[in-house]
Amino acid sequence: MKIEISTMEDRIIDFIRLEILGEGPSFELDADEDLLGSGLIGSMDIFRLIEFIEREFSIKVNPADMTIEHFATVTALTQFIQQQQAV
Amino acid sequence: MAYLLTHLVDDTAAQSPDQLAFRFGNQALTYAELARQSNQLANLLRAEGVERGDRVGIYLNRCLETAVAVYGILKAGAAFVPLDPAQPVARTQYLLDNCTIKILLTNKSQRRRLPDLLTNPGPLQLVIGGEAAWTGRKLPWAAIQSMTDSTPEVRILSDDLAYIIFSSGSTGQPKGIMHSHRSGLAYARLSVDLYGVKATDVIGNFCALHFDQCTFGYFSSMLAGATTIIVSDAHTKFPVSLLQLIEQEKMTIWYSVPLVMTQMIQSGALAKHDLSALRWVKFGGEAFSPHQLVQLMAHMPNAIFSNVYGPAEVNQCTFYHIDEPPSPEAPIPLGEVWDDTEILILDAADEPVTAGEVGELLVRSSTRMLGYWRDPERTERSFFQHRKSGGPVQIFYRTGDLVCTSAGRSVAEIPRSRDVLLFMGRKDRQIKTRGYRVELEEVESILNAQPGVLEAAVYPIKNGPEGLLIHALVVSDQSLEPPAIKQGMALHLPAYSIPAEIRFVQALPRTDAGKIDRRSLQTLLA
Repeated sequence: MKIEISTMEDRIIDFIRLEILGEGPSFELDADEDLLGSGLIGSMDIFRLIEFIEREFSIKVNPADMTIEHFATVTALTQFIQQQQAV
Repeated sequence: MAYLLTHLVDDTAAQSPDQLAFRFGNQALTYAELARQSNQLANLLRAEGVERGDRVGIYLNRCLETAVAVYGILKAGAAFVPLDPAQPVARTQYLLDNCTIKILLTNKSQRRRLPDLLTNPGPLQLVIGGEAAWTGRKLPWAAIQSMTDSTPEVRILSDDLAYIIFSSGSTGQPKGIMHSHRSGLAYARLSVDLYGVKATDVIGNFCALHFDQCTFGYFSSMLAGATTIIVSDAHTKFPVSLLQLIEQEKMTIWYSVPLVMTQMIQSGALAKHDLSALRWVKFGGEAFSPHQLVQLMAHMPNAIFSNVYGPAEVNQCTFYHIDEPPSPEAPIPLGEVWDDTEILILDAADEPVTAGEVGELLVRSSTRMLGYWRDPERTERSFFQHRKSGGPVQIFYRTGDLVCTSAGRSVAEIPRSRDVLLFMGRKDRQIKTRGYRVELEEVESILNAQPGVLEAAVYPIKNGPEGLLIHALVVSDQSLEPPAIKQGMALHLPAYSIPAEIRFVQALPRTDAGKIDRRSLQTLLA
């Protein structure tokens, strides 16, 4: 079953907000916000995020795909997940 | 004559104004621009009341502004204090207070943290570059552009305070390591000389500003007129992207903690990148597993590999250049004592040990810190005053590291005429288990050398009246069995030194600087 982009984005945002940042729903996180440059997400958080998207969206993230381009924003991550699902 | 850190930038700017000093992503600063902008910032700080000896905080991620901030603050006669944005806000507030920081330099990347920080601003009066609403004064970063770019007239002496680096410290409050222009400049001169840094070099600066390895990218590079690439926070999290950056920028010198390079190896992408421009790879801050180093050396054929050793209190004091892939059995030596430096190896009674015996390393050098910020007692404890036959007092820094010389030891893999220092552990990581004295560092290095072990950490666990037991965490990409690992270790260690329990984890907890986070390890597992 294919998941709509917006719900996929929302689920990733929810995970980052709640599980990684420990913030409530009032914490605004934009899909285009730079997750890495401002230090919003730390090195260890990346592993948790990868575990989450692998489980949630039934994909496998290869080490070669762990790059800034794929993880810079929620939008970029969503596009990457869809590419992987299409393979 | 160059006797201040600020002279490094100004001198190179006078000689080669258009040479690139710093690059970050697609932004860059020439030496002339850096000299001009840091003058403007200094003039702004002076106009805002900064006086010689004041402390100004830098609350920034890795970015180009850090370079202007460092040199602008120094040119104002003040000392810069890097504040790690990743640290809990309460700790940063403590540091603002502890250092009486009245002015903070930041930028919009901190917009999420800044409001929290400013809920309790302590002595802060002005924030430059921050967007947060607060009752104190604020100025945009662009405000520096309206200032004159002439060098401010401030009398600064070479032994004036230049910067304070706060170490996370294994226990208690953070300690502020104070360095002067003189000690910073001495480090720059010695390192430029040792590594032959030239204007054509492109230096990869991995670490964040609050970590002492930055002195190489921010000071030594400026002395040589080289270009420093500030690695972005994003790149630090993705080894594959980091390899791309090293290749793209044609970096010639790399300096980081070993972990970063271990991650590059583990990414499996090393072979896909042309890293032939790298001529020198320096690692320090922690021991590099020889296993991993061998793999790295195979992929970087043109590079000399060097172990760098020196607590932040003395910048650097030894070097060990690795000509040939090391034997996986033996830990990499700390190496030879570098220039303008001498050492003592003392026993518990502060008497010199006999050659080859283990003792605490004490260091005397031009690169030594002034002391610990607002902590004269700790400073006094850490300094050993030595007076030879009525001469002047010589101050040695007590490193707390246990070392021995290779003299009289059968260290076959050190084909050197001169003695080198071997690391034997931390004074405070020596424990008693089952009645025996054990160096946890030694156990760790043997464990790291076992086949299939990528990384390992050992730690003491309280075990009732028996005292302490050694437990271990291991990272591996194979399915290893603890009994097999223990058997392998038993070839090198007595039974009481073998970890009682070995657990496998995906990754070891790390500090922001990339070192194994001993404290969180301890609390996590206690």
